[in-house]
Amino acid sequence: MFSESKIELTIFDKLRSINYFLLFLICTIFFIGILALYSISNGNFSEWPIKHLQRFILGLIIFFIVALLDLKIIFRFAYLIFIASIVALMILLIVGDEINGAKRWISFAGFSLQPSEFVKYTLILALAKYFHSMEDYHENFISKLIIPSFIVIIPVAFVVIQPDLGTALVIFLGGVSVIWISGLNYKYFISGILGFIISLPILWQYLKEYQKDRVFTFFNPERDPLGNGYHITQSKIALGSGGIFGKGYMEGTQSHLNFLPEMQTDFIFTMFGEEFGFVGSIILILLYMALIGIAIRMALTSKSLFSKFLSLGVCSVFFIYVFVNIGMVTGLLPVVGVPLPFISYGGSSMLAVMFGFGLLTNCYINYNTTLTKGSFI
Amino acid sequence: MSESNKFIFKKYDANTSINRRTAIITIAKAGLFSILGARLAYLQIVDKDKYEILSDNNRITHRLLEPQRGIIYDLQGKPLAINRQRYEVVIIREETSDYIKSIENLKNILPDVNIDTEKLYSVIKKTKKFIPIKVLDDLSWDQFSRLNANIHKVDGLYPQIGFKRYYTSGQSHSHIIGYTAPLDKKEKDTNTLADLSSAKSGKLGIEKAKDVSLRGKLGNKNVEVNANGREIRELDRYESIQGENIQITIDSDLQDYCYKSLNDQSGCVAVTNIKTGEFYALVSSPSYDPNLFSKSISSEKWNSLTDNIFKPLINKSISSQYPPGSTIKPFVALAALENGVSEKREVYCNGKHEIKDTSRESGIKTFHCWKEEGHGNVNMNEALKVSCDVYFYQISREVGINKIAEVCKRFGFGQNVFDSFYEEKKGIVPSKNWKLESIGTPWMVGETLSAGIGQGYFLTTSAQLSLALAQLINGGEKLNPTIVLDKDKDNQKSQKISLNPKHLAIIKKGLEDATNTQGGTSFRSRITGNLKMAGKTGTSQVRVISSQEREEGLKKNNELPWEKRDHGLFIGYGPINNPQYAVSVIIEHGGSGSGAAAPVASKIFKYLFDHNLNLKSKSVSNV
Repeated sequence: MFSESKIELTIFDKLRSINYFLLFLICTIFFIGILALYSISNGNFSEWPIKHLQRFILGLIIFFIVALLDLKIIFRFAYLIFIASIVALMILLIVGDEINGAKRWISFAGFSLQPSEFVKYTLILALAKYFHSMEDYHENFISKLIIPSFIVIIPVAFVVIQPDLGTALVIFLGGVSVIWISGLNYKYFISGILGFIISLPILWQYLKEYQKDRVFTFFNPERDPLGNGYHITQSKIALGSGGIFGKGYMEGTQSHLNFLPEMQTDFIFTMFGEEFGFVGSIILILLYMALIGIAIRMALTSKSLFSKFLSLGVCSVFFIYVFVNIGMVTGLLPVVGVPLPFISYGGSSMLAVMFGFGLLTNCYINYNTTLTKGSFI
Repeated sequence: MSESNKFIFKKYDANTSINRRTAIITIAKAGLFSILGARLAYLQIVDKDKYEILSDNNRITHRLLEPQRGIIYDLQGKPLAINRQRYEVVIIREETSDYIKSIENLKNILPDVNIDTEKLYSVIKKTKKFIPIKVLDDLSWDQFSRLNANIHKVDGLYPQIGFKRYYTSGQSHSHIIGYTAPLDKKEKDTNTLADLSSAKSGKLGIEKAKDVSLRGKLGNKNVEVNANGREIRELDRYESIQGENIQITIDSDLQDYCYKSLNDQSGCVAVTNIKTGEFYALVSSPSYDPNLFSKSISSEKWNSLTDNIFKPLINKSISSQYPPGSTIKPFVALAALENGVSEKREVYCNGKHEIKDTSRESGIKTFHCWKEEGHGNVNMNEALKVSCDVYFYQISREVGINKIAEVCKRFGFGQNVFDSFYEEKKGIVPSKNWKLESIGTPWMVGETLSAGIGQGYFLTTSAQLSLALAQLINGGEKLNPTIVLDKDKDNQKSQKISLNPKHLAIIKKGLEDATNTQGGTSFRSRITGNLKMAGKTGTSQVRVISSQEREEGLKKNNELPWEKRDHGLFIGYGPINNPQYAVSVIIEHGGSGSGAAAPVASKIFKYLFDHNLNLKSKSVSNV
């Protein structure tokens, strides 16, 4: 069923092949996250930072497990993993913990997980396997798009009804990025975008009140400065008042006086930008750019299509995380609740991102592995 | 259409296609990151100043500091109105996730206080979540410290310390000192404390008259607050300035004594230093608890005060106007003397005086003397001593109302005694012009006769009577009536009221005889011993007695309902050899001056002779 790889890699070969510069960048960004959380806790290491560190360590374990797995096994079970994650989303709708009117978390054995965070990657797994296994690229059948469409739409639909529009958006764009790389003709993207714009008024009716409010507020934050506009107004004040060099570490008045909402999660970049200023913000963005750049380079070394699609998909999802989060806190995008990877406090997103980079690293280690077209199992 | 457009997917050169598309997507990502960078540059470099100001506005809050009200001292330096710490608890809804739990915990911490939770919850629900709402007021120190020790159990609740006014001297001082209460709507524009939510202002008495001096100046502080408004750090502070302390001329012990002497009768007393014009006592009875208004008063309690026929809320000594009755006679006598009526002139009193009155069937109107059988022949001295009405009917007719009015006004009738009390009334001195202007009909002779015995349109106040007598007895020294000691004010050059000493001597003799010789109207209330008082009684009617009533026999006062009985008045001075004090006493519906008012005045004079107030007084330095 699988083609034989040319050289059977030992575990030490694999460990040696890991891109440690990538890991170094991840650790650097994570360290910035610890600094930021330490500041938010007003110098109390045991409040947020210790848990963040624990999650990172757990994330590293997942990273290594996933990175060292046999790529063929990942390829083989790609659909199953995807289906399992969809099942988790379905279960979530029934037994999920409702927090602030949304069912996003599923808890078992003392853990609280957000399945939607993982779906971002399992979806890419499924798409990568599908496009890798697609029979005849020369056939002009739009029917080839039917399965990928379902792979994207099903998880997006489940996440939308949680409701969690932000994550749904990340999942959707992540899927689209893989379809893009797989080589779908430009005109489908163009007609897709046009179709989306035309159907906006219809989609609008299906939005929840609070989601509509957020969109209104995005276009005019001053409309409700103490309600929905409060987050974005305070965030802009914090960033702007940070200036070029910032107010100094642990000196951010906006964040330390609790003017900033959701500081330790979605708005952590704001706090960082307030305390470290423009210079600090740009350095952080450059670190993310470097990380993504290296990841893309790693992705392109793979020989199999599956590995390429998977790795590039992981890069795209990661990019979307970073861009949507920073765009949101700077007032460029509506507030949709997307965390900043490695820095925001939150277990599921940390583990999911590490899972993603584990997949990427696995592909990188096994760049030479060729895979036959896969069946369903 | 190029070749590539024919295919849905382009597998034919997969790697080239992927590389190209990855390049595009990478460039797009770099472009989007650049947008983020530009956005940050815009926020953090271009618009930095704007956001810095907004950030400071966010964190720095201006809080007002309540000034302490000035303290009011009496003549002896005894504090009458002071400030006490007030312990209260407020709740801020947004600072607790569960305010009902906080209130329940508060109830457990302070089981001995009553909280109307239903009402409170409805207020909390209606109020904006960041506005503090008062939960408890006026806690004891014990309760307050118990709450502070358990503050971690009651999220969103804040113990606060403020000030409340406390009056030390009880009911006898209520009217003259007044009270404070929250600002009225009208005051909100003018009062300098209006921005303070707990601001109060004086509503009556000294508290109102001297409110501007007493209230002090607001302080303020800039504090760093968090988003919930909780104070984190004080940045700077400008202390409030306590209001000026005020010393008043009231002698607290005398005031108390006068109040007790009234013995819960409805009435008032004024005691004046006849040389300085200082008022040592201004008493109104019955009274109310002055500390009643420091808390919100129940409508039940309020109604019982306003509906009370004895009108406990009114300061009768300056706000209630009474016909002076016979207490006006010394001034009428003076008017007569100044118009050439001899002191020796005798009038025969047969109990009544008749004048022509064409409006009546009989063609005459009869004016009666208080003594039905008449006094026989009386001269001025005798007329003052026995208070013969017929004598004064006669001389009033001869002198004329305008002359009487002129003399009365000269001594202070018809004018405010103090310029500072808005609640003061100035009485009425009737004259021909006055009637034409205010009633619109011409003066009639009969009205001169009524005015001559202090009836008819005549109205005065207790303070006015006391001042008028003081200015008469001191030999026409115009007084500057004072209730608040003002150290800065130089003694103004004494003005003289035109008064012939010979005339004064005649009147003084009449008043001395009225009190100290057998047959005088206040003889029964005389003070024996070296220091004596002299004075004039007055009994003023509050109803018109018809001739029919008179024929059926006059009803005695105690047969009438209270509100129809005559007012009893007395004005007096003492000691007679070296007059120091002028006193006026009015007992509402007391029956008669000699029976009701003179005995009270006598007790007050005895007290005054036993305590030399001038020697006792000491000035209070203004802290």
